[in-house]
Amino acid sequence: MSTTRKRVYGYLAEFGSASALYKAAEKVRDAGFRKWDCHTPYPVHGLDAAMGMKRSILPWFVFFGGMLGTATGFGLAYITQVEIYPTVVQAKPANIFTVPAFFPIMFELTILFSGFTTLFGLLALMKLPRLNHPLFASRQFHRATDDAFFIAVEARDPKFSPDGTRQFLEDIGGKSIELVEEED
Amino acid sequence: MAHDFVTSADIPVDGERISSSKLDSVKRIAGGAAGLLGLVSAYLLFFSPDKVAGSYAYSWLFAFFFFFTLAVGGCFWTLLHNVSNSGWGTSVRRVMENLGAVFPWMAIFAIPLAVPGVQKWLYEWMNIHRAAAETHHASIFQGFLGGFYGSPSMKDALEADHQGLLVNKQWYMNQVAWYCRFVFYFLGLGLVIKTLRGFSVAQDTDPNPTTKNLFKARFHSTYTLIIFAITITFAGIDLLQGMKFDWFSTMWGVYLFAGAALNSMAVIIITATLMQKGGYLKRVVGPEHFHIMGKLLLAFTIFWAYIAFSQFFLIWYANITEETSWYLIRNTGGWNTASVFLVFGHFVFPFVILLQAWLKKNPKLLSIVCVYTLLMHILDYYIIVIPERSVSLMNLIPDYKGVTTSIPGAFWGDILAFLTVGSGFVFFYLRALTQTATYPHRDPRILESANVSN
Repeated sequence: MSTTRKRVYGYLAEFGSASALYKAAEKVRDAGFRKWDCHTPYPVHGLDAAMGMKRSILPWFVFFGGMLGTATGFGLAYITQVEIYPTVVQAKPANIFTVPAFFPIMFELTILFSGFTTLFGLLALMKLPRLNHPLFASRQFHRATDDAFFIAVEARDPKFSPDGTRQFLEDIGGKSIELVEEED
Repeated sequence: MAHDFVTSADIPVDGERISSSKLDSVKRIAGGAAGLLGLVSAYLLFFSPDKVAGSYAYSWLFAFFFFFTLAVGGCFWTLLHNVSNSGWGTSVRRVMENLGAVFPWMAIFAIPLAVPGVQKWLYEWMNIHRAAAETHHASIFQGFLGGFYGSPSMKDALEADHQGLLVNKQWYMNQVAWYCRFVFYFLGLGLVIKTLRGFSVAQDTDPNPTTKNLFKARFHSTYTLIIFAITITFAGIDLLQGMKFDWFSTMWGVYLFAGAALNSMAVIIITATLMQKGGYLKRVVGPEHFHIMGKLLLAFTIFWAYIAFSQFFLIWYANITEETSWYLIRNTGGWNTASVFLVFGHFVFPFVILLQAWLKKNPKLLSIVCVYTLLMHILDYYIIVIPERSVSLMNLIPDYKGVTTSIPGAFWGDILAFLTVGSGFVFFYLRALTQTATYPHRDPRILESANVSN
């Protein structure tokens, strides 16, 4: 038996249904919590609005990633085809008016770069990949992939208090509330 | 979503109808304007000097085909909505049907294009056919389906005039077949949209509403989608590509379809927004519907750009004389500026703007983008039709010798023709909108549609 004290991750509360979770999420949002999350077996329409989620900045990453792709495609084609080694085919020009021939590669690189920024931007914003999550210490949490709806309020939240938050989660209809501690 | 859940208690039993004296007066003004300007147009087309009549024929073709695509697009969205078994758009389906209902009436504005006196300015191949028939005493009926059934006299006549290309194309490009197709466009698709709208409207007054009409509409939308495809493709080939019989593009039908679908959706969005502003469609149409329609707008903006570029790129790469001539005219002089502007105006700007999800959920902002898209559609069709005018009329009218890329002052005719067909379009559209309930209130899916979330 270990005598060291474990770090507290936060409270995990179960809710009976998707609509109960939805209503509870609105209350948690209105109570002003910041570091918390909902866990459901399937996507719940409108839950992001109920949680008061702000718009992600990911689209901006993707936009500039895509722009970079367009510029890269144009640069690669223009420098090789016009500056370094102009190839005259069927009397078509080798200058800026050759741009129709560059469009396919510009398009492809736009897609590729925005695809990459989507993937890696998403991973970075979600702080993935990670090997473990403190919530996995909870024995009931595996039901989040099956038939249970959870709200987890983290201890990092400035509004978190050991007794107050537990009481609050009980008040908004949370059941089997559990204090989750991080595993060693 | 956060907005209120719509239940059957929110849907009036007898539906919702537009009854506004303001709308009636707009309808009357539009109808009157169409009639008056129509008389002026008829005079300009049929009784004015060659110089005016010749250039106004092109104005008319431009104006007619612009509104033709909008009406055809209304038919397309109705057909697509039915055939894809969609639930989301039931509450805006009536708007689509009413836009499509304008289509049969477009035949009125198409009549001048069927008159030989107007055709002689627009379609060079018809002049050659007529001349060949006259000088060699061949009947145009002998040329009908000439390539298939081999009635040689018209072929011989064309051969004698050294029109090898027209001999090869004669199985398609002959006047009898042209008139048959011309009639088929309006009869065929007109019947389709009339029937589909009929199914939908019949359900409104059905005392025992079931899924019967819905299933009928779904079934009959499948094979009639082919009629739609034939109409937009061959009308585009006959009326627009036919201006230059030695030119061809295999992308042509798809290109016109892309513009038609995009801009009829823009009209549908604007209509829905205006109807909501007038106090209709309040319960059944929400931000989610505008979001979906905005997404379709974005999709077809991309599709149009894809098709437009494919057409240009294939022709640019292959560099075949018969094909490049189209772009040579349109990349000469001021037309080049317009063409380059089209690339940015019709694709780059609306693409970046329409990427915003929040904007698509705001009917007012989305409608502004729609108006902009329609303006670009005007430019698109202007570039398709008008550059051909100076090139063709230069050969037909001695006074125009030396005119290079455009005929000075002819744009007044373009505006007049646009206003004429436009006011007629508005009249028939408003007429269709006020004829029926604003949404199919007894459709089994109306609640599913009203509460749609995406």
